[in-house]
Amino acid sequence: MARNTNKKRNTVRNASTRPTGFYYALGAIALLGASLLAYSLMRKPAEGVATEAVAPTGPVGPAEGYLIGKADAPVKIVEFADFECPGCGNFANVTEPDVRKRLIDTGLANLTYYDFPLPQHKNSQAASNAAACANDQGKFWEMHDAIFAAQDQWNTEATDNPKPFFQKYAERLGLNTSVWETCYDSRKHQGRIMANAAEGERRKVNSTPTFIIGDKMYSQGMTYDAMKAIVDSATKK
Amino acid sequence: MTKRMIVAALALAGVFIALYLLLYKLGMIGHLSCSVGSCETVNTSKWARFMGIPVAGWGLAFYAALFVLAMVSTGERYADSLGMSKLLVGAAGTGVLFSAWLTYLELFVIHAICEWCVISAIIVTVIFLASLADFREVSASPAS
Repeated sequence: MARNTNKKRNTVRNASTRPTGFYYALGAIALLGASLLAYSLMRKPAEGVATEAVAPTGPVGPAEGYLIGKADAPVKIVEFADFECPGCGNFANVTEPDVRKRLIDTGLANLTYYDFPLPQHKNSQAASNAAACANDQGKFWEMHDAIFAAQDQWNTEATDNPKPFFQKYAERLGLNTSVWETCYDSRKHQGRIMANAAEGERRKVNSTPTFIIGDKMYSQGMTYDAMKAIVDSATKK
Repeated sequence: MTKRMIVAALALAGVFIALYLLLYKLGMIGHLSCSVGSCETVNTSKWARFMGIPVAGWGLAFYAALFVLAMVSTGERYADSLGMSKLLVGAAGTGVLFSAWLTYLELFVIHAICEWCVISAIIVTVIFLASLADFREVSASPAS
């Protein structure tokens, strides 16, 4: 058997170092792989348009989100998010810094964050609770950023007890930790969190993150460029 | 096609799978909306990073290096090189062990299976078997 295979190797080597068929095979794989990647990359913005739906308008019920930016900004971005959702984390960590700097700080838009804790994320409500308690001391957004930045340390897969992580962030942010802890343990903002989630359900939010900009709903994360384009078109209206 | 060419072709396929998963990890592809998905669970768990770098990034580097190595090994100069065969077996073996560890995590720790990770595990296993066959062939060859 060894002799046969040796013979085969030699035949291949003597005829040509690499047969043309080999290059065809590599070419086919490269073409297939590149087309699939290109398709996946291009599908996203197209889907963003396709999943648009008219969002129920009107005041945001008894829910109370967390505002960043000028209250009278011409375009209002509403975000329904789950602290444990990776898509939301991705938006918060990758896209949102740009959105804040270029759209919110410049007064073009403001953003209101609503909790939408999903049932499969067991630590998400605790994270909303931690952020709501930071809000009592005027540091919702700082806590929001800290929670999202370290999402994989305190999420359901990582721990059953996320409180020590949030406590650490509270300390780092310079909050009065005993006040924060009393608030956290009493879960006094649970009503607000539930109201925010109920508001999402009323608006037919079924995945996170979901953005409502103007009268359109976008049920997925988006890049800065996509959000900028939507804000620009909403400004023109 | 020789065994090494099979390794090269499969490694190239692996490059694309790892690239896809990496782009997904970086949020540039597909829905990261949290309506439950096993690939999402796996690729966003804390085990999706190894030494601070996304596992998909390691995969991409691994497959790319293996592809280059396999391409070089198909050249006339290294056709009978036993060292090259050993290198391929060693690299593919490392890949198989790493994949086995990841599959163990998926099954018993994360409790979710990501189909692309499974496809990658199968590819790396076939690569390993092919490089093992190549090693046996080259070591049995009188030229070596």
